[in-house]
Amino acid sequence: RYVRQLQRLQLLFSPTAADSRGARQFVEEEALDFARQNPDVVLYVSPRAGPAPVLLAEYMNGTVREELIASKTSEEIKQLATKLAGQSGLDIIRIRKPFHTDNPSIQGQWHPLTNKPSALTVQGPRLQPQ
Amino acid sequence: MVLLSAPRWLRSRLTDRFWRVQEVLKYARHFRGRKNRCYKLAVRSVRRAFVKSTKARREKKRFLRALWITRIEAASLEHGLKYPAFISNLIKSQVELNRKMIADLAIYEPKTFKSLAALAQRRRQEGFLAALGDGKEPEGIFSRIVHHY
Repeated sequence: RYVRQLQRLQLLFSPTAADSRGARQFVEEEALDFARQNPDVVLYVSPRAGPAPVLLAEYMNGTVREELIASKTSEEIKQLATKLAGQSGLDIIRIRKPFHTDNPSIQGQWHPLTNKPSALTVQGPRLQPQ
Repeated sequence: MVLLSAPRWLRSRLTDRFWRVQEVLKYARHFRGRKNRCYKLAVRSVRRAFVKSTKARREKKRFLRALWITRIEAASLEHGLKYPAFISNLIKSQVELNRKMIADLAIYEPKTFKSLAALAQRRRQEGFLAALGDGKEPEGIFSRIVHHY
């Protein structure tokens, strides 16, 4: 079954600053709808007087992603929140290979002595097979 | 800061030159010499590095195929077969494995590769018999073709 990898979504904004206007609109109008549409997403709203408004997303594997929401409309913040809610906490870099195994070899990985006759089967002038 | 009129634009100064320069230098950090520090030299080197990396994507395919072929050749020589004989007889026996998979099998599954080499050898012998015998002997078992349509 699908387990949402987002642990918590913290909306930190200032109640008076001008760039938090979108965040305040989001909290007033769309935060409740967003929370109802995604019941398994935990949304914490904390107004604090301080630096720029930020949307903090913490994931199950420990990664914390900060997204600045200064001077963004409430619509954009909602889209950003849905995007973060759908992500997992893996870093967003180029994946080198689309596959991975922990046990690549079942019959035993090749080493220089795999296809050589062992001491049990060598037939030399004096060595007899046992 | 919204500069609403032309006179205002003309009086503004460039303030984020540092970050514009860092955007380029971050791709040059692992270079050798002054081109990992100096912007003027780094711009040229970074551009050439990107161009080379796009062009090299076509060569990478050739390079990897040559690597797989080398590995298959080495593995089949351990079992007494040469690479052209191995590959041609494998295809004649309708084994549609590509070189990447055969190379991975040769590394990680040596017994499977040994059986593939034995199959190719047997098909080779049957091919010789069919070509040289030209008698009333029945066709080889492994030379039979299965039609999937």
